[in-house]
Amino acid sequence: MNTHDSKFKKHDRIQYLILLLPGLIIFTIGLIIPMLLGFYYSFTSWNGMTAEKPFAGLSNYYRLFHDTYAAQAWIFTIKFTLLNTILQNIGAILLAVALDSAIKLKKLFRTIFFIPCLISALVVGFIWLKLYGNVLPALMDYLGKDINTMLFGRDDTVLAGLIIANNWQWIGYWMLIYLAALQSIPQELYSAAKVDGANAFQQFFFVTLPMLAPALTICIVGITTGSLKVYDLLVASTNGGPGRASTSIIYYIYSTAINGRQYGYGSALSVSLIVVLLIVALIQLRVLKRREVQL
Amino acid sequence: MKKSIAILMSSVLALSLMTSCGGSKNDDKENGSQNKNTKNEEQLQKEEDVTLRVLAGQSTTDAGTEDMIDAALAEKYPHIKLEWECVDWGNDFQPKMQVYMQSELPDIMIGKAQDVSTYGSLGLLADLEGKPYMDEVLDAAKPGVSLDGKIYGLTYNAQYQGVYYNRDMFKENGWEIPDTHEELQAIIDDCHAKGITPFASHMVDTWSIGNVTMQFAVNEVFRDTPDWGDKFRAGEVNFSDSEEYKHCYEYNKLIYDNTWSDQTFSMEQTACDAKMVQGEAAMKVSGSWSIQNFLDIDENFDFGVFPFPNQTGDSKLLFEPNITFMASADSEHLDAIDKVFEVITGDKDLALEIYNYTKTAPMIKDVTPTFPNPSQSDIDKYAENDRIQDVNLGNNQLQWGGFQEENAKDIAEYLQGNISLEEALAAADARRENSKS
Repeated sequence: MNTHDSKFKKHDRIQYLILLLPGLIIFTIGLIIPMLLGFYYSFTSWNGMTAEKPFAGLSNYYRLFHDTYAAQAWIFTIKFTLLNTILQNIGAILLAVALDSAIKLKKLFRTIFFIPCLISALVVGFIWLKLYGNVLPALMDYLGKDINTMLFGRDDTVLAGLIIANNWQWIGYWMLIYLAALQSIPQELYSAAKVDGANAFQQFFFVTLPMLAPALTICIVGITTGSLKVYDLLVASTNGGPGRASTSIIYYIYSTAINGRQYGYGSALSVSLIVVLLIVALIQLRVLKRREVQL
Repeated sequence: MKKSIAILMSSVLALSLMTSCGGSKNDDKENGSQNKNTKNEEQLQKEEDVTLRVLAGQSTTDAGTEDMIDAALAEKYPHIKLEWECVDWGNDFQPKMQVYMQSELPDIMIGKAQDVSTYGSLGLLADLEGKPYMDEVLDAAKPGVSLDGKIYGLTYNAQYQGVYYNRDMFKENGWEIPDTHEELQAIIDDCHAKGITPFASHMVDTWSIGNVTMQFAVNEVFRDTPDWGDKFRAGEVNFSDSEEYKHCYEYNKLIYDNTWSDQTFSMEQTACDAKMVQGEAAMKVSGSWSIQNFLDIDENFDFGVFPFPNQTGDSKLLFEPNITFMASADSEHLDAIDKVFEVITGDKDLALEIYNYTKTAPMIKDVTPTFPNPSQSDIDKYAENDRIQDVNLGNNQLQWGGFQEENAKDIAEYLQGNISLEEALAAADARRENSKS
């Protein structure tokens, strides 16, 4: 019997391995090998064009800590990420709660809020560039208001302009996730809360929010990692400007490594980004998982 | 009963399968000899057919020229097909080249003349010296694509760069073409007095800042020191202590202070050109790439061009060799590439069609564009007086990606008041090693 069991387990194991193999090969070729190569290039001063890849030791990492442009790009990226994470989550939860109620045309509203996330970020960038630069100024002229709507044109307003554009695109997507989570909350919990005398706010804070914790984890991690990697929105709208005011770390890596022909240094910047992304994701998962309510 | 139906169904299925297999076999036999002949013809045809991969780094004016080339090629060499990959030269050409350099270069690359110094020096481009079709190219277009006595590029057209001005506005206000800064300042002052915006600009495009800065530099810096870029790399000169380069940065400030400053970092080229045509600004430091927009918006728009004045009052109108064809040194189809280049240079109708479409100047002999170009009379005047200069004098020494482009971002920061002029100049010195690969 034991021999049969072990034979069966061995057979199972081989079967699992065979099933895993295609995924493993694709993952290794597409992710692991490029990552290792990138790590190797980060120790070189390769310009991305020549056959020689001169070894540069730790100089790229030393430079990384003294690069004011990289610091500026990190500051922009962190601000963009924090604001996006906070605003998008709050906005998405509020919209989900509103559209989970018995309001009329809620399906139409859900569709309207969801549509922008189907559009490419490049198109979104262009739409908002035109909106801020042409449509809104014309509207202000028509209304006789002296309000400068060109948010992309000044370094002190460009972040706000991009946050609006990014929220417009993604808030509907995260709203749907919260909506699905809301609809899975058992009604008995609300009935029990009502019996205990909880008002609408208390029900929201003591029933709805704790029950939304798993969705909150998904949304926070998703928005954070997405915002840390923002690139295409910037390409189509601000080109990282004015000056470098909206240069994200990914944009900076790309312009340094590819346009600037400093592939080695760009790789070192990429390694630093991977490390940051890993740390952020791990912290978020550990903290948020603890708060989740298991049904 | 069920059993009988099942047997019947199975038999029908099996029979139909056998019939279909058998049928196909018989058909094969019947058509065997005919197919064999067709296959042989196809094989022969296939041996002659050549598909060349083309990476086209295009400017805003160039999109659409690929269809014209395809049509002309199909007429003369129908067996040669071009597989186009069209990208934006400013943003995507170099990244694409870097990718292909790790694997295999396309057979033909279309970039700008300045690309020759980058890729030719790496031994990636085929030498076109002595090819019969190079006789069709104007001699003026050859020095910019030559390296060590070899020609690595076929320059097809050129764009003129300078200050494009609204001719009607100049006439109405009695303004003369300025040669000095004092004269230019007088026009600016008069513009302000009359409520006219002196300069149109679109600084959301970093390339626009970089481009005008190089325009200023060619007349201000490279004019007297043609090897300034090489000297800069050798540490003999710096941006920080160069009065001439300081002027170039200050000219950007002059434009910024005399344009729609609140809009320029939110405005892209098309919107800016439209405002220029609509008479919302008197001048625009630009290049021939604006002509297409000007005439598309209003075919009767009357404009001219003059060089942005330098400190000595003798600046030259700039021309930039633009569309430049290059062949991969390792291509297996160099003969076919020669045929493509032969069509491109030899088919004068094609050349005329492209020049009229892109609204650019020819670099191919015996072709005179017929599109109405109001600025042509000015160009002719500067050409007659030997006041034309190739802007690649600067571009070939100070590369765009990683250097001019980054300097342009510093200038934008300087214009926005985030850094001082001295800091912007010092930042250029700090990236000295990136000034050329």
